[in-house]
Amino acid sequence: MPDSVENPLIRLSEALAERAAFARALVVGIAVPGHRMRSGILWRKDVVVAAEQRFPKAPDATVTLADGSAFAARVAGRDPGTNVVALRLDGTPDPAPLGAGEPQAGALALAFGAQEGGVCARLGVVHSVGPAWYSRAGGRIDRRITLDIGVSPPEEGGPVLDAGGGLLGMSTLGPRARVLVIPAATVSGVVDPLLSKGRVERGWLGLALQPVLVPEALQAEAGYPRGLMILRVAKDSPGAQANLHAGDILVTIGGESVTNPAMLARHLGPDSVGKQIELRLIRAGKSLSILVTVGIRPA
Amino acid sequence: MGAAAVAIPPFLRVAVLASNAAEQHRLATLVEQCGHQLVELAASPHAVLTDGAAGADLASAAVAVGRVDGGFAGLLPADADATQIDAALRAVAAGLTVRATTAETRDFDPLPEEPPVLLTPREIEVLAALGNGLTNKETARLLGISPHTVKFHIESLFRKLGVTSRAEAVARGMQQQIVEF
Repeated sequence: MPDSVENPLIRLSEALAERAAFARALVVGIAVPGHRMRSGILWRKDVVVAAEQRFPKAPDATVTLADGSAFAARVAGRDPGTNVVALRLDGTPDPAPLGAGEPQAGALALAFGAQEGGVCARLGVVHSVGPAWYSRAGGRIDRRITLDIGVSPPEEGGPVLDAGGGLLGMSTLGPRARVLVIPAATVSGVVDPLLSKGRVERGWLGLALQPVLVPEALQAEAGYPRGLMILRVAKDSPGAQANLHAGDILVTIGGESVTNPAMLARHLGPDSVGKQIELRLIRAGKSLSILVTVGIRPA
Repeated sequence: MGAAAVAIPPFLRVAVLASNAAEQHRLATLVEQCGHQLVELAASPHAVLTDGAAGADLASAAVAVGRVDGGFAGLLPADADATQIDAALRAVAAGLTVRATTAETRDFDPLPEEPPVLLTPREIEVLAALGNGLTNKETARLLGISPHTVKFHIESLFRKLGVTSRAEAVARGMQQQIVEF
């Protein structure tokens, strides 16, 4: 093939393989006895991150780098809210940090995973980029990034790079096997708490809630047509201590309306723990304000 | 069937494999509540009950409780009770696959979006009563309202949810809208 330098397909192919060579230094295989090998990212020297969901409930693992070197690893902390588990190792190389990638719908994306004896790669495009979103456990994920490719469960947790070699984040299997990317910024935000405390503490009131339409007769009193009805109050929870009851309709938190659960999640992040917050409720047809001290969401 | 049918043992030999002592004890207690005989893993049990500690490579028919990898014959939610565990152990011992009907919500699932139709608190109560199989009259007594008012709320539920039967209303109306904070 004399024209390889001119052939754009070959140039593209070579550029992709070059990105894969970058990624090799970051991709790790994680082995827990009795379980399939899974993938992770060498986040920095002696720290590996991987996908928390379906990660075995084991205290230890063996981490293998792409060059074949193996390290004993300890599970330092898990955060189901952002799907990150952090492992601590001893004596790994310091991976050259990748620049931050900028997700753009339609741009190429490369997802990497570990495979017995090396690295595997998938090429696709960024399917969509959306605003921050919240998981059921209250985790804030800074961007909603989806890919148009499939990733097999053992590859989940590996790095996703953009065409420039920037790190977009960690691959994750979302609902209906849709592949999401947990942005690098989100992973960065939870790694240190996981290493130091073993978990990420978030706010908790101890309430089970469901969105409701405020009955018409009460809408003027409530000031809003929708709210969240309390279905249960956990025993000894901050909600129970503040005397909240099943049947109360929560209309505002910290002065802002709560028409959907994400609005509540926004007020109950890591910074909210231990702080007092004002709730406005409709109870027995009357509006009332209650101060509650935010607790720590149980693991 | 008849004479050729395999005799179904009144109780099974079940091994328990958990990741820690507390969980081992909890699962073993559940197995005993089901009336099955606890045996060691090496004693070729009919079925294995595990919290996932065994990994998906377990050869025997196994039921896993809680959030684990999908490679088990039986998968039950973490809070499965003795009745469900009994049914699942018998099913996997007979070579069947078991999944709970209500997909367990995972911590990492996105928070549910605001539903396209919102129900009033009364409608939610009536729907919960329907879900528990109560008649209009029983629902009225439970909620302290007239059967006529119950009927009014059910008609409103059908209209809002776009359904024509109680079963459909329950299925449509209770879709994972509940969050915990």
